[in-house]
Amino acid sequence: MSAAALGRPASARPWHRFTALLGRRRPVINILLALVAIFWLVPSIGLLIISLRPESAFTQSGWWTVLTAPSRLTLQNYSTLFSQGLKPGGLLDSLITSAVITVPTTILVTTLSSLAAYSLVFGRWRGRDAVFLVIVGLMVVPVQMALIPVASLYKGISSATGFNPFGTVFGVIIFHVAFGLPFGIFLMRNFYSGIPRDLLEAGRIDGAGEWKLFRRVVLPLGVPAAASLAIFQFIWVWNDLLVALIFLGNSAHVPLTIFLFSQVRELASQYWVISTGGIISIIVPLIVFFSFQRYFVSGMLAGSVK
Amino acid sequence: MSHVVLDDLTKRYAGGALAVDKLNIDIADGEFVCFVGPSGCGKTTALRMIAGLEDITSGEVRIGDRVVNDLAPRDRDIAMVFQSYALYPHMTVYNNMAFGLQLRKTPKEQIDKAVKEAARILDLDRFLERRPGQLSGGQRQRVALGRAIVREPAAFLMDEPLSNLDAKLRVQTRAEIARIHQRLTATMIYVTHDQVEAMTMGDRIAVLNEGVLQQIGTPKDLYESPTNRFVAGFIGSPSMNFMDLTFEHNGAVPRLAGEGAEVVLDDKQTAMLRDKGIETIALGVRPEHLTVGGPDGPGLKLTADVDVIEFLGNEELIHAQSAGRDIVAIVDTEAELKVGEKVVLTAAPRRLHLFDPSTGLSLARG
Repeated sequence: MSAAALGRPASARPWHRFTALLGRRRPVINILLALVAIFWLVPSIGLLIISLRPESAFTQSGWWTVLTAPSRLTLQNYSTLFSQGLKPGGLLDSLITSAVITVPTTILVTTLSSLAAYSLVFGRWRGRDAVFLVIVGLMVVPVQMALIPVASLYKGISSATGFNPFGTVFGVIIFHVAFGLPFGIFLMRNFYSGIPRDLLEAGRIDGAGEWKLFRRVVLPLGVPAAASLAIFQFIWVWNDLLVALIFLGNSAHVPLTIFLFSQVRELASQYWVISTGGIISIIVPLIVFFSFQRYFVSGMLAGSVK
Repeated sequence: MSHVVLDDLTKRYAGGALAVDKLNIDIADGEFVCFVGPSGCGKTTALRMIAGLEDITSGEVRIGDRVVNDLAPRDRDIAMVFQSYALYPHMTVYNNMAFGLQLRKTPKEQIDKAVKEAARILDLDRFLERRPGQLSGGQRQRVALGRAIVREPAAFLMDEPLSNLDAKLRVQTRAEIARIHQRLTATMIYVTHDQVEAMTMGDRIAVLNEGVLQQIGTPKDLYESPTNRFVAGFIGSPSMNFMDLTFEHNGAVPRLAGEGAEVVLDDKQTAMLRDKGIETIALGVRPEHLTVGGPDGPGLKLTADVDVIEFLGNEELIHAQSAGRDIVAIVDTEAELKVGEKVVLTAAPRRLHLFDPSTGLSLARG
């Protein structure tokens, strides 16, 4: 989803041709779409059913057999996992750890990106474009390349201040924020570029300073872009295994991805835990997605300028 | 108390381009001044410098008794209406108008009173809860006006506020702005490229070209005594006809001649041209001052071939060719001219404008 698609009308003509085509072949297209949807949904449904069957059933029969015997579904796996409570390394504990990492990261990236983009678009300082180009360049830096430098940077911070971010949730958050910002700034800047300058000037004359302009004019107009950025960011960080494994692998509190990963064993993988935890880890981003969906309002700028 | 003074106001862009060059204008409290000129003449830049949206290269802007050069726009006590309306799309009409007052921490009841009063004046009562996106162009422009009115500023700045409206709405809104000006007796600076707008609305008009003030005066002044060829050509619609004539003063009757035209001069004009040692003249005459036929005697007389006739109802707009030059005249329909016909057009001496062809400056009125 590009920023352009959110704020400005897509070029109308090809789209009309497409919908006209859809109109004529609607039944065929609907069937095709349904097939694609089923194809994508089957594994998720399978995972859901596995999580709803007793542990022993997994080795005895395939999950699809449930379709003929639905009575054997149970919430036992969920209650077992949740009944462990806040035991370190347990499901609930890692769910909370994931949230503690993901929520602040998402808020920080969205806020900082919006602020930076405001300055890059509406600020009056030299070299804004050069700075933006550097930021765009940073988008292509692979995470893997930065793991060792950041680890040694944390070590340096540790010897200088006595606080070692390595192995802490804080260290992971900082890492994710740093890697989320280039894309975030890129997305927000492109969106803000579409806000007419006249609006800001009208605000300045009306009596707004930079902060008020940001808070009352630019930020509300940037909500669609900010919402999509927040969703992207949330899902990326929520699903991250690599960074968490390296920076938090030996910690007592680990995020959900590491929790699931640790259930995979060569001989006796805990499939009931993996399926149940997997479903829980899917549900959270879904909730986030659907609750942010209403902010995808297109045509926010309608009526502001001719 | 809220007069606006521009003192040697200059804007030079980083690239070196001179947008406004030593602009000196003194605008009285409550006066309605129009800045008019072709696009790129610096009128909008000048307005933006008054507003504080553009840095001033040199010179001074004073509003009231304060030099405002270094003040932020919000501290200048001005309101501006933009060509693009620039309404806040996410706010209701009410909040669009209230925003400026809210930022100034005006008490709520006072804001409410001001907004409702403005809405009443502008006939926006029914739309207060709508967003700009749900309004028509004319309504949006009225909201933009309302946003300026509620602030009760020392000066209103308007940047081509009507240019996005269709012709009918433009005339209506023009009257609306004139009414607001009478009602509020506020100082207004109005930028437009449309000289008709400037003529109908302004107490005084400042004509700019290439960043330089050409002339400032009442609409009548500008129409009757343009100081140079540019102002003469810019003010008035259709624009003034110009022809290059030679001063012949060796014959019995001193006259200007050339391009199928002849002007019989009186003694005063002859003396003036002799004194200045002028040999060629750029003669200007407005289309509405040309008549078909007319008596012999002093003044202009030219022969031309009628090319195109545009019927305007009570009169006709004639395009005619005279020595390869297009001459435009507005004549009475009773003349019953036909395309291809030869026509003699005359103008009274007092309707003639004489310009120095090299400097373009007015020599004197004929």
